Amino acid sequence: MNNNPGIELHSSDYQLNIVHLYPDLLNLYGDRGNIQCMRMRCKWRGIDAQVTECNLDDHLSLVSADIVLLGGGSDREQQIVCTRLQKIRRDLRDYVEDGGSLLAVCGGYQLLGHYYDTADGRMEGLSLVDLYTEQGSPRLISNIVLRNESLPDALPYEIVGFENHGGRTYIGSNTPFGKVLYGHGNNGKDACEGVLYRNVIGTYLHGPLLPKNPHVCDLLLQRALYRKYGVSLTDFPALNDSLEREANKAVVTRFHSPLAP
Amino acid sequence: MHPRTLLAVAAAKAALTACHLSGRPGSSLPGRAALKIDPHIIAPLAAGIRRGIIVTCGTNGKTTTNNLLCSTLEAHGYRVVSNRLGANMLEGVAAAFATSGKRPLGYPDADFACLEVDEASAARVLQDLHPDCMILTGLFRDQLDRYGEIDLTMKALEKAILEVPDMTLVINGDDPLTVYLAKKSAHRIVSFGVSEKISNEEDEIREARFCENCGAPLRYDFYHFSQLGVYKCPSCGFCRPEIDYDASEVRLSPQLSFDVKEPGTAPVKISAPMTGFYNVYNILAVYSVLREMNLPADRFNEILRGFRPQFGRGEVFHIGDNNKQRVLLNLAKNPAGFNQNVSAMLQDRSPKDLVIVINDNAQDGRDVSWLWDVDFDRLADETIRSITVSGLRAPDMQLRLKYVEIESERAPSVEKAIDTRLADGSENLYVLVNYTALYEAHKYLEGLQK
Repeated sequence: MNNNPGIELHSSDYQLNIVHLYPDLLNLYGDRGNIQCMRMRCKWRGIDAQVTECNLDDHLSLVSADIVLLGGGSDREQQIVCTRLQKIRRDLRDYVEDGGSLLAVCGGYQLLGHYYDTADGRMEGLSLVDLYTEQGSPRLISNIVLRNESLPDALPYEIVGFENHGGRTYIGSNTPFGKVLYGHGNNGKDACEGVLYRNVIGTYLHGPLLPKNPHVCDLLLQRALYRKYGVSLTDFPALNDSLEREANKAVVTRFHSPLAP
Repeated sequence: MHPRTLLAVAAAKAALTACHLSGRPGSSLPGRAALKIDPHIIAPLAAGIRRGIIVTCGTNGKTTTNNLLCSTLEAHGYRVVSNRLGANMLEGVAAAFATSGKRPLGYPDADFACLEVDEASAARVLQDLHPDCMILTGLFRDQLDRYGEIDLTMKALEKAILEVPDMTLVINGDDPLTVYLAKKSAHRIVSFGVSEKISNEEDEIREARFCENCGAPLRYDFYHFSQLGVYKCPSCGFCRPEIDYDASEVRLSPQLSFDVKEPGTAPVKISAPMTGFYNVYNILAVYSVLREMNLPADRFNEILRGFRPQFGRGEVFHIGDNNKQRVLLNLAKNPAGFNQNVSAMLQDRSPKDLVIVINDNAQDGRDVSWLWDVDFDRLADETIRSITVSGLRAPDMQLRLKYVEIESERAPSVEKAIDTRLADGSENLYVLVNYTALYEAHKYLEGLQK
């Protein structure tokens, strides 16, 4: 694996290893902003964040991983990654079942499930979460606003982003990431968006997701810190999130008017 | 001439008059009026063009390339039909043809037609317009919500290219995506490129790390920016073509200069009062077309000296007492374009203030995720005194800067942002805006300059 040369080292007792899977292929829609967000929110708290970019030809080890990001790419690129990921399916499954944090966005989210059926055939998924995706038409393209109802303490205000996906995802009896207040969500039908499973978050939300949703970023950091050190994020200095909250609220106010039905 | 065509031309001209009366440029609406009456209005009008039709496609550089080509041809006394304002969808192209004739029902009386064409509209436009030449400037991620992934843009362009089997493709040979696209067809290909390493910057976002042909990782001798550079596929042999118009000895400041080599001829020195490496490609594209179409290129340097970038493509305004306050307005609408703008701005080592305006209207792309693909960390530069942010997505832009630990101020409008900095006495102001903010920024700066 290549260590990213851009990261700062802090003398700190707390260190998180963030693994960015295949950024050379899955880097659409500003996904690297999610990495930057986690990195800075660690840095500002004095937590040492090590980011490892795992490219297609690198050997992947999840033994010391604390947070894994799987982003989205074009269908062609996703197919390449999908073939590669099958080889490490068991490692990923062990990591997830052991409570490892995983954020999977868009194409990465679809790969979590059993399969993605397209006009060109079936793309086998990783079966990490019991869900599946079918290609639909038209593409679902919109700003999107969600409200999480399963972790209201951890995610106390709306989640905002932008969705752009052809796939319709069905999560069965799993818990969604949020209820759709504005936009399309998993399939445009059941008003659900994304999935929560153990410490996995799967979602179609770009934006990128984390900068305008610092509560989601902190949830990932919190889970990773607790799993590794048994400490809580609240033990660290609180951050001033006024700009983040303002950017979040601007989207909520513009697209999900409280007066709307 | 078919009566329907005549009627469509009349409708377009009436619409243009109405636009002008209401203070609008009328670059699209007359086309829409004409197309309602005759959906294929472009074909008969284009058939009357005497010498040649050249279209320019590609993500970035269309307007500058097309306008430079127009100016060059006009300087040689040719009459040219064009969509210089950058209205580059079907309506804009139809408007350019339908409103160019002098008489009320007149047809274009022109030697050349030079048109920039939006990638998503290209197939439809080329159904009716049969260009002699298509310039492909390069392909980058842009407005993913509108075009979908870059693969889809390539498919759309491929379809357009196949509409006109006998046109020459004048392509950026440094872009593996463009080269792959061009080589898929059996068209005649002419390439331009830069064969020496210019920059040490390594921006991170690249399309096409992998060979479009076989999927193996491409090997690069070096990159210029984004995925442009000197590349080769170690697996299938796909590679950068032999470059027909090859630039070397490139200087980026105080103005652009370079030598162009053609096989079998002595290098020609070119210099232009512009900045920004990307403009080397725009100039090379025009030069290649002139040479390929046997048009006069001997006065090219003189024409470049007189060429003033317009419509906010590196346009310079002089404002205030003794015109001491210099403002440079530039369109920056996608990661590759924005990164190139930042590079050009940082070539200027004098102190400067910066205004950034980001909107998310339909023409801008509703999705502003791309801001995170721009290397904004480079704005932490000692020559940048202040950054003022405005536009519908100002909070997103400020947040983007926060995550590279750069402070910014917010202004409620682009006018206010510019006013504040000029009132502070800024003598060197850069205004970088995306598409829908360009028109207001341009209008306002023009007013201030008067």
